[in-house]
Amino acid sequence: MRRKNWELKLIFAAIIALFAVFLAGPILVLFGKSVWDGGLTGEFYLSVTRQKGFLTALGHSFAVAAAAAVIAVAIAFLMAYAVHYTGLPRWVKRLITAIATLPMFLPTITYGFAIIYSFGKQGLLTRLLGRQFFDIYGFGGLLVGYVIYTIPVAFLLIHNTMGFVDKKMLVVSKVMGDGHLGTFWIAVLRPLLGTLAGAFIQAFFLCFTDFGIPASVGGGYEVIATLLYNQMLGGIPDFNRGAVIAMIMLIPSIGSICLLQLLERFNIRYNRISQAELRKNPLRDGCWGAASAVTSLGILSIFAVIFVVPLVEEWPYQTGFSLEHFQAVFADRELITVYGHSLAMALLTALLGTLAAYGAALITARSTLGKGYKRTIESIALVTNAIPGMVLGVAYLFLFSGTSLQNTLLLMILCNIVHYFSTPYLMMKNALSKMNAGWETTAMLMGDSWIKTILRVVTPNALSSLIEVFSYYFINSMVTISALIFIAGARTMVLTTMIKQLQYVNRFNEVFVLSLLILATNLLAKAVFSWLANRQAARIRDNRPEKEKAKKRKELQV
Amino acid sequence: MKRKRHLALGLSLAFALTLLPGCSQGNAAGSDQIIIYSNADEEAVAAMENALDSNGYEGQYIFQTYGTSELGGKLMAEGTDLEADLVTMSTFYLQSAQTENNMFLPLEFEVNTLEEVPDYTAPITSQEGAIIVNTQLLEEEGLPMPTSLKDLADPVYEGQVAVTDIQSSSTAWLLIQALVDAYGEEEAEQVLAAIYENAGAHIETSGSGPLKLCRAGEVAIGFGLRHQAVADKAEGLPIDYVDPQEGNFSLTESVAVVDKGEETKDLAMEMAQCIIDNAREELIQTYPNPLYEGETADPQNQSAYPKTFAEPLTFELFQQHQALSERAKG
Repeated sequence: MRRKNWELKLIFAAIIALFAVFLAGPILVLFGKSVWDGGLTGEFYLSVTRQKGFLTALGHSFAVAAAAAVIAVAIAFLMAYAVHYTGLPRWVKRLITAIATLPMFLPTITYGFAIIYSFGKQGLLTRLLGRQFFDIYGFGGLLVGYVIYTIPVAFLLIHNTMGFVDKKMLVVSKVMGDGHLGTFWIAVLRPLLGTLAGAFIQAFFLCFTDFGIPASVGGGYEVIATLLYNQMLGGIPDFNRGAVIAMIMLIPSIGSICLLQLLERFNIRYNRISQAELRKNPLRDGCWGAASAVTSLGILSIFAVIFVVPLVEEWPYQTGFSLEHFQAVFADRELITVYGHSLAMALLTALLGTLAAYGAALITARSTLGKGYKRTIESIALVTNAIPGMVLGVAYLFLFSGTSLQNTLLLMILCNIVHYFSTPYLMMKNALSKMNAGWETTAMLMGDSWIKTILRVVTPNALSSLIEVFSYYFINSMVTISALIFIAGARTMVLTTMIKQLQYVNRFNEVFVLSLLILATNLLAKAVFSWLANRQAARIRDNRPEKEKAKKRKELQV
Repeated sequence: MKRKRHLALGLSLAFALTLLPGCSQGNAAGSDQIIIYSNADEEAVAAMENALDSNGYEGQYIFQTYGTSELGGKLMAEGTDLEADLVTMSTFYLQSAQTENNMFLPLEFEVNTLEEVPDYTAPITSQEGAIIVNTQLLEEEGLPMPTSLKDLADPVYEGQVAVTDIQSSSTAWLLIQALVDAYGEEEAEQVLAAIYENAGAHIETSGSGPLKLCRAGEVAIGFGLRHQAVADKAEGLPIDYVDPQEGNFSLTESVAVVDKGEETKDLAMEMAQCIIDNAREELIQTYPNPLYEGETADPQNQSAYPKTFAEPLTFELFQQHQALSERAKG
């Protein structure tokens, strides 16, 4: 088959241009900072690696990020399994999905405080249960924070892939006489291996690069993100040594690029996806139901405090009901403008970001372009995953200061697209690679152009994934802060930068109120997106019986 | 096919709509409003806004507040490309930003400070350090009320003390200055090591961290900014403050005008002058140390042992004390 693939090459060029300017450029600037001091020098690297506590912090980061990623993926798998492979009632499944994704609707700055106000000495849960469960400062607190932080991403990836796994495999495996575990392996785990590993890597890097959680509950347990913050923005910023730490943080991503390449072969394509009738099994449903209920309650209980704290006068010492904090926030004239900025930024990021992720995924999952093209895209996705938002923000400061992009909404949008590219891309790629590989060929044989095929066949079938990617970008843009704090200007303030301001002046009640505003916006957006996705799915469903009926009628007539 | 057209139409409409605020943004950026970046607390920002508003500058400026470290990062990285026309910031930060980037203009108005300051800065506040206590928790735990910073090194307070890390926050400098001044570098290091021992996990990155922990009932004692504890006490929280016998040391924050070459706006200099001439009266209510000739402080708000460090507070001294703190961590 000889095709020129010019459309795909065009998409490829556009994506490369985007990431060259807004990812490679900033990273190069950082690299320059790490080796340049009036001349080429290795001094910064030497002094950082010899610095006391550096290797310990690096070790801590690996340990806690890996532990959190394993737990988050296990919990996410459990919840996704309950949704896809049990006979639990529909509303229960919906509830599980909602709770598993709840943490991503809130900015991470609120997590740390949520943990302190839940599990701390005077915390809500400590008070309700009468004792403190674990020391929240250090490994324990970090683990809890990270697990909650990464469950949504892991869940979305697994949930997405599970939807494309042929459930009839279960029946086939049973018929072939496999045992329970055998079936579980063949029909569930085996097809998911690639995704599980992908989810682990995603979760790992989110933890590895996050700063918000260690800042509030890290205690004496130093991780590399804290070191980075201290160097970049400590009492007096040292950008050279900070750049060194940032470069070192990128090294693990090179390892994961190789790992993911290896895992590529585990992705399985099904020619058709069928929903097999699951056997009735109350015991199975009961067990998974109970397990999901426990994890869900765990997640919910930590966030309960966000609702409680702003509604009382002054937690924990004056616990009378009060709406004062809500009134204080909503009385601010500026709020509407800031809210408008947040919405505009989130919508545009979602729209452009979805296009970028879709284009990139088309290249890697559904094209005959050479390996070099695909590897490049894969590498971009992995690097975006591993680069801390804070580093990106500081690098943007260096690169775009003095240009017309400085402090604009556009720069913030581009920054978000680059920063969050990885997960949408993986979601899109998973969805596209699970579709029948023959569509383009078939369509071409029938004389359709590539664009027509994509618009008529691939896009409608990928629409639910596209909408999910759109909402992922939207929601993350609503909650992100780490990079924006550096590039948002006085005229482009968004809700999260406003939260950060309130945090500096210790107004936690207002912080929680704004967090709730973000939560409400995200839930509303999510509801709209789901409604759209369902309507689309329903349309596709409705059309089918029509055609089948027509076909039958014809047959009868004959 | 029709559906797709609807979809396309809807999408492009959404796109156009979302672009609208983006465009109006672009226009607003060309306006003549003065942008003021500040790391000041809300009381100080309110005082400066009141001064500007009552002198006819209402609506002609935008205040944008940052944490000290973020604003510091922006000053260092952006230099004269900074979006802001006017900055208020910890004085020693301004000094090192000036050394690094040569980014501020000499002030064109008279600054009659009690002590000499660089010609491109005029101080707006002087912030003092003090010991903060959660009285309720202190009583519950049966702990004695501390009177000096050295007391915080007493093992009875193990797990009940929170301090800030001078690596990330300049508030910690107030503690270290007091210790070095009272006991000399060597003993100060030992005392600090024992305080860190008691603090354990609570060597906080943010200057307001200890107060937050006292408020949340996580620790009984913290070291932080005095005026914040005063405010909490006034609000009826179980928070009190103790002026340590070693002295209440202070750091000043100053205003500076960014040198934007030909694009420098005269209004920025006028507003800087307005702040210095008119905001001090309100500022001194919260930050009681006199800074200018002819100022007197309200004795009620005044700390018991105001003191200044013998050496000038330079960037080099700051780094020296950072190193001392690192040694004390052991």
